[in-house]
Amino acid sequence: MNWLAIKREAHFLLRKKQVVLILVAALALSLFAVWTGSKEVAQQHATIERLLKADAQDRQAVLEQQHDYGGVAYYSFHLTYSAPSPLAFASLGVRDVYPWKHRIRMLALEGQIHESDTENPELALAGRIDFAFVISVLAPFLLILLLHDLRASERAAGRLELLTISNASGAGLWLTRAMILSVTLGFALLLPFWIGAILHQVGWITGIGVTLLCLLYLGFWALLSYSVAKLPSPAPMLASILLGVWLITSYIVPAVGHVVIEKSITGPKGGDILMTQREAVNDAWDLPFSETFDPFVETHPEWENYTQMPSLFDWKWYYAFQQVGDQKAQALSEEYRRVAQEKYQLANLFAVRSPATALQRILSYWAQTDAEAAREYEQSVRNFHQSLREFYYPLLFKKPPFKREAIQQRPEFTPNRSTQTNASAG
Amino acid sequence: MSEIVIQADNLCVAVGSKKILNNVNFIAHKGDVLALLGGNGAGKSTTIKTFLGLIPPSLGSAQILGQAVHQNTQLVRQKVAYLPESVMLYGHLNAIENIRYFLSLGKKPTSEQVIHATLEKVALQPQAWQRPLGEYSKGMRQKTAIALALLREAPILFLDEPTSGLDPVAIDEFNQLVTQLSAQGVTIFMVTHDVYGACHVANRIGLLRDGEIVDMFNAPENGNIDTEAVHVAFAQGGRT
Amino acid sequence: MIATLLCIARDEWRYWRRSRLALSLLIIALILAIASVFVTHTSMQLEAEQRTHLQTLAQQKFADQPDRHPHRMVHYGHYVFRAPPPLSSLDPGIDPFTGTSVFLEGHRRNGATFSEQQQSSGLSWLGTLSPAFVMQLLTPLLLIVMGYGAMTREREAGTFDFLKVQGITPPYLIAGKGLALISAGLLVFSPFAIGAIWALINGAEGSATAMFLVSYVLYILIWSSLILLASTLSANNAASFSSLTCLWIVLCLVLPRIASNTATVVVASPGKLETDFAVLQELRKLGDGHNSNDPAFSALKSSLLAKYEVDKIEDLPVNFKGIVAQKSEAKLTKILNQFSEKQMQEAQDQANVARQFGWLSPAIAIQNASMKLAGTDLENYHRFLREAEAVRFSFVQSLNKLHAENVSYTDDANKYKDHETHHRAKVDAKNWQILDNFHFTPLAADQRISNSQLPLTQLLMLFLLCCGVTFFAGKRV
Repeated sequence: MNWLAIKREAHFLLRKKQVVLILVAALALSLFAVWTGSKEVAQQHATIERLLKADAQDRQAVLEQQHDYGGVAYYSFHLTYSAPSPLAFASLGVRDVYPWKHRIRMLALEGQIHESDTENPELALAGRIDFAFVISVLAPFLLILLLHDLRASERAAGRLELLTISNASGAGLWLTRAMILSVTLGFALLLPFWIGAILHQVGWITGIGVTLLCLLYLGFWALLSYSVAKLPSPAPMLASILLGVWLITSYIVPAVGHVVIEKSITGPKGGDILMTQREAVNDAWDLPFSETFDPFVETHPEWENYTQMPSLFDWKWYYAFQQVGDQKAQALSEEYRRVAQEKYQLANLFAVRSPATALQRILSYWAQTDAEAAREYEQSVRNFHQSLREFYYPLLFKKPPFKREAIQQRPEFTPNRSTQTNASAG
Repeated sequence: MSEIVIQADNLCVAVGSKKILNNVNFIAHKGDVLALLGGNGAGKSTTIKTFLGLIPPSLGSAQILGQAVHQNTQLVRQKVAYLPESVMLYGHLNAIENIRYFLSLGKKPTSEQVIHATLEKVALQPQAWQRPLGEYSKGMRQKTAIALALLREAPILFLDEPTSGLDPVAIDEFNQLVTQLSAQGVTIFMVTHDVYGACHVANRIGLLRDGEIVDMFNAPENGNIDTEAVHVAFAQGGRT
Repeated sequence: MIATLLCIARDEWRYWRRSRLALSLLIIALILAIASVFVTHTSMQLEAEQRTHLQTLAQQKFADQPDRHPHRMVHYGHYVFRAPPPLSSLDPGIDPFTGTSVFLEGHRRNGATFSEQQQSSGLSWLGTLSPAFVMQLLTPLLLIVMGYGAMTREREAGTFDFLKVQGITPPYLIAGKGLALISAGLLVFSPFAIGAIWALINGAEGSATAMFLVSYVLYILIWSSLILLASTLSANNAASFSSLTCLWIVLCLVLPRIASNTATVVVASPGKLETDFAVLQELRKLGDGHNSNDPAFSALKSSLLAKYEVDKIEDLPVNFKGIVAQKSEAKLTKILNQFSEKQMQEAQDQANVARQFGWLSPAIAIQNASMKLAGTDLENYHRFLREAEAVRFSFVQSLNKLHAENVSYTDDANKYKDHETHHRAKVDAKNWQILDNFHFTPLAADQRISNSQLPLTQLLMLFLLCCGVTFFAGKRV
């Protein structure tokens, strides 16, 4: 293969209508995906900004109305969120299925954290076109379309022998053609991504990483298509073989994996967590105070000497049984999350047999839009809720006189690691 | 005698257990026009494909300029030009573009003038040169392909049923060209079932039947092969 | 004439039987279809049983609560579960993407929680192996592989002209080939049809089920004629095959996603959280229903005092706190409903944008028709949310009524004073028998059919268009 041959074949191939059509389609799809992905990310950023503003105002208003710490804790909501990462435009991931924003207060957390402010389920069912989908599902298909009849089309047109005889470089001709087609396709697909990456200020390392990963993936499919295209069968037969591989690995393997995993791993129903928590919290009203304080003190021994009740109602008791409600549901809740985790991990077994799924998983992992990121966000909400409790308990149990300034020390939610990128970036 | 250019040496080709060529032997010297005559399924195309290195022999060898084709395929291919039976060049390119493309594949860049001269030589109407090949008639495509074969300046030319589907005028033009080339020292190997055409241009004719050479005719010095004799032999071959 | 048609169709089947590729694909597709019907049926059945069980359990628990202050029961709350409709065993639709239960309590309109998708392996990102998926996506591909060469094969072999000379006109040949292709499609469809009968036994309505099946048959017909059209117009097998696979990927994979991207870009829908702020703002104007001293209720107070001709709220024959709870719950619900209706309308608008793409893609049309007829679409989900809200409002108000009538104001005001007043502010547990049996049923069959008019029209139009074009194409070759 030399430069002259590459120039010659590029000139030759790019004059074919079918090739140009496929390349233009690839570019258009990728552009559309990147454009709508950016739109979506911008909407998410804008939502977060609006929410942050409204949230702060709301909390301030509450603070002005309340006259004791218990009331402030009861009526104050705190916005928690996970902002889309710079790379999210390329892989929207499961942010339409998992919640990425909550408003949390000091009540039992299990009653709040499963609230999902999810998007339109009918659109979630249809799925989205994002760059990850274009590259992992559509790109192999386009490659197959370009490469499967490399030889077969020449054979069908009666040119194969003449080409073989005329060609001084042997198999080099086919390799050159395959390379040119794959590289231009890769370029058409990646160009919109690069533009998007620059606009979204994706880091160099991530950008190069995604590019290399995509090239590796495209290379895999190109190699497969190239080898199958060597078989002396008519083009539709070759395309059927390749499409079969594509369909089975991209669609059937994950779908079967899903069924297998769903059938083999069962865990607590989400509803059970809510039920347990609700029973615990509501029963507490009618139970002796000790029923609440005993388990509470077990986990919070520092308040052992502060559990006497001055009247039949006191905020410290109220929040203690909220805490106990969470404690009672804790085992279930942990099991629920563990099962979800286990299912997700087990899915890796199937993902390695489905290159498209594997690529999608890696991309959404890098973009922090996968289920793992959603769970990390959930954990950050739990941590934040915990810090709220740690802040309020001294005020509720020791009962210092009510001072609004004391609330200034109240913890604020800070989003996780790299999702911290300022919301105004969008 | 001048050097041996084409030689089939106990050439056998088998696909699976089916023998397609069986102990085929023939020789062509520089400037010879060797025609292989045979009916459908006699093994004509297989012979030509073996010499082009597209089918490996199961026994014996096909040699060009003393080199076994299947051992030195790329080297041998530089020396040969090939004219397939039904010529399908690229329909979306015009004649000149097709020729340029195929020549550059064989690393033989050629000037525009030479291409024009060759197209004139094969009598392709100049007004057709810039039209895509998809709009050509079979004869015009054939002429383009002949021009391509000539431009490769190969000392050896393989022709697969070169005159099938051509009108009488085109056949006549073609025969003249072959004679002219052979006079210039080009060795020509053709397979055909056109007895009269073969006798007209060839100085050596092999009769192929069921994968075996059953008869061989040589032209006398400065004369043509006796058409009648070949015809009789061919017809008898067909009968038995 | 019919005999010739059957003869052509039989010949096509013979070709498939002898070509190992077509035959093995057909068998694989059949196995997939059977497996998907079976797996989805059993898992939806299980889901249905579990949810019904949980529903009974929730009602029982509510009724079993001890003597309490009625407002405690308002916050104790209640659960409703969304039982899947019978046809969801063929098309689960948005079921896995929506919460299956709603927690109902006073002063709040909670969203549905715990969608299955959140607890899943993440492998179903391209779709689950539901019967609907097999019919909508995989069956067209199977038909393409079997039928791309229907006409081009004859053309390549030179038998096309031969047949024409024999007096078999191209439209006739196309019809015969179409017959074979449709029969292959119906063969793969048969497990699905059996699944529908199964659903019928489980209580699916006859008319909706029939329409459901008809829409799928239409879908098979559309694809069959698309395939024949491409095969008629293409010069050779390769061109026919590649144009059909492109068509498949565009119609089945790309357009549905473009539709949903477009919908979100065209109609922006703020999430529930954002509307919550607006709700809160409205609520502040209403006053806090827990606090009967809130100045917002002074007008109510004076009108009540006037009505019963007393001077103090303690002298009222009803518990003022209960009255306040009732009134504020009613006003609050009105606001909550307003906002949630607005939100549902936005979701609806988005879906409507996406649904318009059904004019272009039969896959989108069948998806919508199928979900609507099965009762697993957005409208039915919204119906569930509205029903849940109705249940919420009714039980909360019943409790507030108890609060107003069965607890005296004095006891209520002093309920945290000592154990005795605390006890007096409670209501007997036998009053908790206020819940009706809740069982979610989707819209009635005729309602579902009329809701699916748009996608059904789209399917019908695409069918007529494809058939017409194929016929004319056949006449011209």
